Amino acid sequence: MMSTAQIMLMWAALLAVMLACRCIPLVMLQGRVLPPRVERTVGSIPVAAFTALVANDLIQPDTWGQGPRGVLVPLVSAGIVLLVARKTGSLIWCAVVGMGVYALASLL
Amino acid sequence: MLSRDDIASCVALALPVMVAYVSIGIPCGVMEAQIGFSPLMAFLFSATYYSGAGQFMVSNLWLAGTPLVTMILSISLVTARQLLYSTALSPYMECVPTPKVLRFGALVTDETFGINFSRFAARDGWNVDKATVVNVACMLSWATANLIGAAVGSVISLPVDIMSFGMTSVFICLLAGQSWTPSAVRVALVTAASVLACKLMVLGGSSIFLGAVAGVLAGVALDALLGEEQR
Repeated sequence: MMSTAQIMLMWAALLAVMLACRCIPLVMLQGRVLPPRVERTVGSIPVAAFTALVANDLIQPDTWGQGPRGVLVPLVSAGIVLLVARKTGSLIWCAVVGMGVYALASLL
Repeated sequence: MLSRDDIASCVALALPVMVAYVSIGIPCGVMEAQIGFSPLMAFLFSATYYSGAGQFMVSNLWLAGTPLVTMILSISLVTARQLLYSTALSPYMECVPTPKVLRFGALVTDETFGINFSRFAARDGWNVDKATVVNVACMLSWATANLIGAAVGSVISLPVDIMSFGMTSVFICLLAGQSWTPSAVRVALVTAASVLACKLMVLGGSSIFLGAVAGVLAGVALDALLGEEQR
């Protein structure tokens, strides 16, 4: 168990880093005209960030030893969610279909 | 000043994430209770630090016997991806008073970045006030779920892997909605390959930040190499 002092110390340190990362670029770059190259670089961040988040969730090397099922369940579910996303563009439908398909695929 | 309808539409937009946060927040609270957090502490920690990945790491690393300083450094590296989100959102903060920017920025997560960035990019009247409502709604669902988890302990059992895939599905939807230029395809391919490489090197949560940075840098370099800078 962590002591209250350890929790407070960790909380303060993590919160300071988190707030710095969340707020400093927002405030420093706010309203600034960025050079075209920097603007293009910033423009590519969302694609990179979302790809990294999806890839991080789908690529799980620790499940590779469990046979093809461990790899296929998330990949097939993701493929179906992608179709729903292209068709509807709805976050809710994607979340509902994704969880449903994943649950069904896990049972098979 | 936002109308009641505005607030309701913002909460409706945040709803898929709120539901996912509740289902993942409860087990997170259970783990926090195991390392000594009271329910109130779990709520306040979640409402201020507000990071799913970071909070799960706190419990996992402590239970694994990791020293406190190492824990803080490891989790801070994972937090670094917030720099990317903050940078990407900055063009939409023009003419917004700094206190409002800070109020909004302090509560950006992977999921709320996705929702808000898509709406800002659509330029359909989305503003910082509405974005802050989305952030606060999601934060309250996360913090409340952590409080419940810390209070009830392991009495509740949820299929975390299925609930987590709801979040993955949200990311897939947000990714599909991006503008797919040849440059974007290159960025995505390099990012995915980099995340795979990081995972194989057992870099864990840092894979997201490192993969995204590699994708962005490679995208810039390849655009320059292929002479696509002026497009």
